[in-house]
Amino acid sequence: MAEALVIRNLSKRFGGLRAVQDLSFSVRDGETVALIGPNGAGKTTSFNLVTGYYRPDTGSVSAFGRELVGLRPHDICGHGLARTFQVARPFGKMTVLANVMTGAFLRNRNMDIARSRARAAIDFVGLSAKEHTAARELTTIDQRRLEMARALATEPRLLLLDEVMAGLNHAEIDQAVALIGNLSKRGLTIVIVEHVMRAIMAVARHIVVLDHGQKIAEGSPREVVANAEVIRAYLGTGYRHEVPPAGTVGGVAC
Amino acid sequence: MLATLAQAVINGLLIGGIYALVSIGVTLIFGVVKIVNFAQGEFVMIGMYISFFLASSFGVDPLLSLLISMPTLFAIGVLVQHFLIRRVLGLGDMPQIFLTFALSLLLMNVALLLFTANYRTVQTAYSESSFHIGPLYFAVAKLIAFVIAMLLSAVLYLFLHGTDLGKAMRAAAQNREVAMLMGINPDRVFCVAVGVALALAGAAGSLLMPFYPAYPLVGQVFVLMAFVAVVLGTLGNITGALIASLMMGVAESLGVQFVGADSGLIVVFVLLLLTLALRPNGLFGGWAR
Amino acid sequence: MGAVKSARFTRSWSWVAALAAAGLVLPVVVADPFALDIFIRVLLFAFIGVAWNLMGGYAKQLSLGHAAFFGLGAYTSTILLIRFGISPWIGILAGGLVAMAASLPIGALCFRLRGPYFAIATIATAQVLMLLFLKFRDFAWGAEGTTLPNLGDAPLMMQFESRAAYYYIALALLTLGLAITYCIERSWIGFYLVAVGEDEDAAEAVGVDTTKIKRHIYLISAFLTALAGTFYVEYIYFIDPNTAFSFNISVEAALVSIVGGIGTLWGPVVGTVLLEATSALLQSWLGSGHGGVQLTVYSLILIAVILWRPNGLIGLFTDLYQRFTHAGAARARKVPFDG
Repeated sequence: MAEALVIRNLSKRFGGLRAVQDLSFSVRDGETVALIGPNGAGKTTSFNLVTGYYRPDTGSVSAFGRELVGLRPHDICGHGLARTFQVARPFGKMTVLANVMTGAFLRNRNMDIARSRARAAIDFVGLSAKEHTAARELTTIDQRRLEMARALATEPRLLLLDEVMAGLNHAEIDQAVALIGNLSKRGLTIVIVEHVMRAIMAVARHIVVLDHGQKIAEGSPREVVANAEVIRAYLGTGYRHEVPPAGTVGGVAC
Repeated sequence: MLATLAQAVINGLLIGGIYALVSIGVTLIFGVVKIVNFAQGEFVMIGMYISFFLASSFGVDPLLSLLISMPTLFAIGVLVQHFLIRRVLGLGDMPQIFLTFALSLLLMNVALLLFTANYRTVQTAYSESSFHIGPLYFAVAKLIAFVIAMLLSAVLYLFLHGTDLGKAMRAAAQNREVAMLMGINPDRVFCVAVGVALALAGAAGSLLMPFYPAYPLVGQVFVLMAFVAVVLGTLGNITGALIASLMMGVAESLGVQFVGADSGLIVVFVLLLLTLALRPNGLFGGWAR
Repeated sequence: MGAVKSARFTRSWSWVAALAAAGLVLPVVVADPFALDIFIRVLLFAFIGVAWNLMGGYAKQLSLGHAAFFGLGAYTSTILLIRFGISPWIGILAGGLVAMAASLPIGALCFRLRGPYFAIATIATAQVLMLLFLKFRDFAWGAEGTTLPNLGDAPLMMQFESRAAYYYIALALLTLGLAITYCIERSWIGFYLVAVGEDEDAAEAVGVDTTKIKRHIYLISAFLTALAGTFYVEYIYFIDPNTAFSFNISVEAALVSIVGGIGTLWGPVVGTVLLEATSALLQSWLGSGHGGVQLTVYSLILIAVILWRPNGLIGLFTDLYQRFTHAGAARARKVPFDG
């Protein structure tokens, strides 16, 4: 199976802070991978490095066979990587439709085609009713939906989602999980940064754990949850791990 | 030749002190309130006119009038922040740029209407005096201005690092959200920041009066110097602004001495464009982003 | 459907047609040369505002140095005319090309900065150009400038006996600017411009080459502004660095758009009409010779607009129109940028 994304020895420091240190992992085509870790672990920085907002000090990033380091974000988007931002950044002055059309124009500059593709993406995330609402008047959650629609309109092969579930209630999380599942069924490769364990368990085949900029664990959800290093990173050294009953992961039936 | 060079450097440093007061004000407002005060020069102008009228009507020496011009401009600063600047925070670049820009236009033109374009000068006992150390000559008025400017800068430094309010200002400059979480009232801090910045501008004005004429557009020259110094010294970095201002003064002086009398302005602009081209983050990567 | 869904009144073609008809007929009705002069200035400054608005209004690149292009246009055509005898009809295009060429290095330098520092850098570049032209005695007449040779009625050299001809040229320029803005608004370029203006990082994330967009819109904006420069010089028969690179031109270019409606098609026109009308009123009340009154009033208007209607006054007019004509106010609620 082809590799959608290969990250090798990626490092970045900001002054004295080593935000990402020697990070390496790959994502297989069509896979959904979760990138987790305590706050400040370097997850969003990794996204920014992959999508061209920061230039790594060392290391390489390649997606679908193409080296991405040194490219500007718009080029990277052109190569099929789309991302959302941790805090949604809609084009406030534009309507939902106009926002998503802006994304659609990447692949086709014809107004009618872009409009219909945008509408499809808007429909997919469930914002059709608010098509003509100005983006700045949307709720935070709708703004996140908008951001996803806008990213999808660029017809990505790899989607990077940064904490889309933050602050969602149970029902909303289920909706988001279903959405991600749908995208995966369409063949999209997805990397999500998340804190909501329920969602991660539901969508991710493979988890990469970061702490202080370094990868400390990698593996299937069950492996990662049982990993002592991971537990120490999240909970500190005072926690004694107990082996959960067979058939569950961390006490949650799976 | 060496003496000429040294003299030019000295002259540059002395005027650089005044530039420092203006640019520190700009960088302080930028660091704390995150807004560029296009009208800073006009507050220097106001300081000059205050000192002029105190001198011509009551015979008050400009240096003494510092005691009036600084508090007055502090009060103006608080009002400007509270009634004008506060209303455009968070609205984006356009309102923020054009509000202070409009204020600058307004003040210049109101001054033009009230005072006409005539140059106003003040003659003091020491306006013309100077002394010599070897081949070097020091204009007393400029030297006094420089010394007081440096003193005020030192006082500001102590304020920012030694008092609670000063530390609160620095905290708000570094991270507004966290500062608010810590109980720091941003509006109060902003009012003080703008007040202090304008007080420094007013001080610059008063210090200039003994050897520089007041006229409505006088602020434009100083604000230009200030902007270049602020960019050169890294946005938000007060020490940087101070050092850069002194450098600007020297550069201008050397330009006037060795290139031509009217080349001062070109030197400044070229410096600005070079800085923007080569080191847009300024010489000292300070804590301001 | 276009990219901008403003209130229906400004999009209604019948209004535009009425305006166009009035515009075409005006010189026939208004014979007084002084009155015509006012209209010419309104048209010209509206055009300069429209040119600025493409960059400053849509893409939010707030330049305060557009006088650089105005002056380059003016000087190019004048140099070609006086030194080489080339007609200003060619000179005006040459001026546009020179301005476009200049916008490339200026942009490369200034776009490294955002917000107020971009503005300051643009001010600096315009000032540097002014200083340079003040020094260039040899082929650009230095500080005294020069008057243009009066060739009488010479249409091929852009000189006319009748003022009406200048009026029509200015009208044509404004129409050109509005047409370009209109086409851009309804195309993907318009969307990309507004995206860049709203959030450059987010725009990059969806594939917008922000550097290229800024560069391209600067080219267009510079070109159009330069055309205005040539026209102005041909109209007043005089050029000098202080006039051609005047900071007031840079200010007015931005001012009319901000006051009228930043980032809208008709905003600059509304703003110019308002400001010039105010200026004319002031002149008639106070006479001239009160240096500073006009700018005082302009700056007060600007402050008022920023504090109460930062999106410009055009919104006020369209709201009033809707209320007045009960034109489906709820449905036509203005959404700035729609698909």
